[in-house]
Amino acid sequence: MRTPILQVPTDARRAPPSADPTAGPPAIRTTAMGKRYDDVVALDHLDLEVPTHAIFGFLGPNGAGKTTAIKLLLGLARPTSGRAQLFGLDSVTDSLAIRARVGYLAQEPRFYDHLTAREVLAFTARFFYRGPTAAVRARIDETLELVGLADKADRPTRGFSGGERQRLGIAQAQVNHPDLLILDEPAAALDPLGRRDVLEVMERLRDRTTIFYSTHILDDVQRVSDHVAILDHGRLVTSAATADLLHGSTTTFDVEVRGDGQPSARALRQRPWVHDVAVTPGPVATALAVTVSDDDEAAEQDLLPTVLAAGATVVRFAPRQFDLEDVFLQLVEGDRS
Amino acid sequence: MSTLTRPDVPATTTTPVPDLVPVVPGRAPAGLANLVRKELGQWFGTRLWAVQLVLWVLILNGITTAVMLDPSMPAGDVLAEAVLTFLQVAAALVAIGVVLTTQGAIIGERELGTAAWVLSKPASRTSFLAAKLTAHLTGFGLLALAIPAIVFAVTVGQVVVAPMATGRFALGVAVAGLAVVFYLVLTLALGTVFRGRGPVAGVGVGLVLAGLLLKGMLPPTLVVMTPWLLGDVGASLALGTTMEVSRATPIVATSTWTVLLLVLAWRRFRREEF
Repeated sequence: MRTPILQVPTDARRAPPSADPTAGPPAIRTTAMGKRYDDVVALDHLDLEVPTHAIFGFLGPNGAGKTTAIKLLLGLARPTSGRAQLFGLDSVTDSLAIRARVGYLAQEPRFYDHLTAREVLAFTARFFYRGPTAAVRARIDETLELVGLADKADRPTRGFSGGERQRLGIAQAQVNHPDLLILDEPAAALDPLGRRDVLEVMERLRDRTTIFYSTHILDDVQRVSDHVAILDHGRLVTSAATADLLHGSTTTFDVEVRGDGQPSARALRQRPWVHDVAVTPGPVATALAVTVSDDDEAAEQDLLPTVLAAGATVVRFAPRQFDLEDVFLQLVEGDRS
Repeated sequence: MSTLTRPDVPATTTTPVPDLVPVVPGRAPAGLANLVRKELGQWFGTRLWAVQLVLWVLILNGITTAVMLDPSMPAGDVLAEAVLTFLQVAAALVAIGVVLTTQGAIIGERELGTAAWVLSKPASRTSFLAAKLTAHLTGFGLLALAIPAIVFAVTVGQVVVAPMATGRFALGVAVAGLAVVFYLVLTLALGTVFRGRGPVAGVGVGLVLAGLLLKGMLPPTLVVMTPWLLGDVGASLALGTTMEVSRATPIVATSTWTVLLLVLAWRRFRREEF
């Protein structure tokens, strides 16, 4: 029987992202943050705001500048323009105070080879806690259980596989129960089951932390992120709530009617809330793609009765679900052109 | 059951953690004790200490015991020759050992990504450097200087059967040890300057070898400004003999170079990006 990679604490609960403006500063706020290496612009005036308790997907193709942005947030590199604030603290001048509240998983996590997994976590924990020994040990044991490494706890990490190092990376990133978890491609090195477990634990950790993670895996973002930013060639293409991004500025309903769909299309075009109707005849049914402009509620209530009143037999009716991949490709390609 | 409250952050945003006591920022650089412990663990928690100890006892005490047992050596000169050999070899060969062992101390961690990992925790860059310095000084000081010196002193008592002023000998070892400190700091500083191990090892070892080859050929006024004479100065202090040049100058000059290199390393590493 397969052991789950990540065993999620049972008391963790899902909570919505904080939208309360009185709740304090956002977890991350960048203002025109940029990084230039000689003539190469790695990051170009990034404006980003990550609310607390969000799972924020930082999406972009390889080389988009995601890791650079993360290193700037952690104080591992200095911005050449603009600034970043984490919990209202400046990433350059308050870096130590920020790092006391953050857990970080690097893209390819590496540890001191001679240390065991338990020793890696003990070493990490000592940056945050000075004791008592029993409590630190209990936290380490709990964390090892969380990532499914309890049975490998006393092995030197030099023999760890990529997936095991990734798990240990997640463990060390959250051994201090940080207020903000910054994960650089947390699921990239994992198999599909491992990825699923990582995403699951991310969802459940939302209750006690904010998660900012970079990825190029669109499915992962769509599955767990409530906010998304898309970066390409160092530039922010868009940043929005995932639902808004998938929803877009217009809504499309897919309607299939038996036989000729033209009467239904004509009736729909008379409605003020209809932006466009695309008709695609088929051998049995006709597909209508009805784009509504700004009144989704009216559309949802009136669309079906309008079609039925035109004498059609409706075989399918559903709001169209956009895929993040479509949105991503549309935005990135649109931005590049 | 207590509630975790970190002193550096507003209490409203902390996560309750029973019983754990948070690290309180103090006067020491952040993370120093933890990093020193980790670095010492790399010396004394692995086989490194045993390898280094065997290596240096064999080299230093092997060579000096051979000198003591040399039948062609006049009896009255044996002690002086053995002390001179011990301190000259210590100042040169241990220095090379330091360079070769620590050439990757900074660069290796940068290449591997462990430096970025550690520095993503609440650990200062000063602590990162200071921990390396502390651990390597402890390791080399103990295993490559102090223990071989003790073995030497015991061997002198057994083989030469001549009285040796142990206090003066310890002073001589300390002066030779200053060369080791210099080369350690030089190697760490070079590690913050170069991206590859080759230049770091090349410059460090090259400087030691240059000293062995050139110290008799260059003007004494120049040589006294280097660490090359520290073995001779140490022997002079241990044996109570005089030198043609000032004994203080190489000590002061090397100390000054060491401080300057420390400042260089600190400034460079503070601005390093990972």
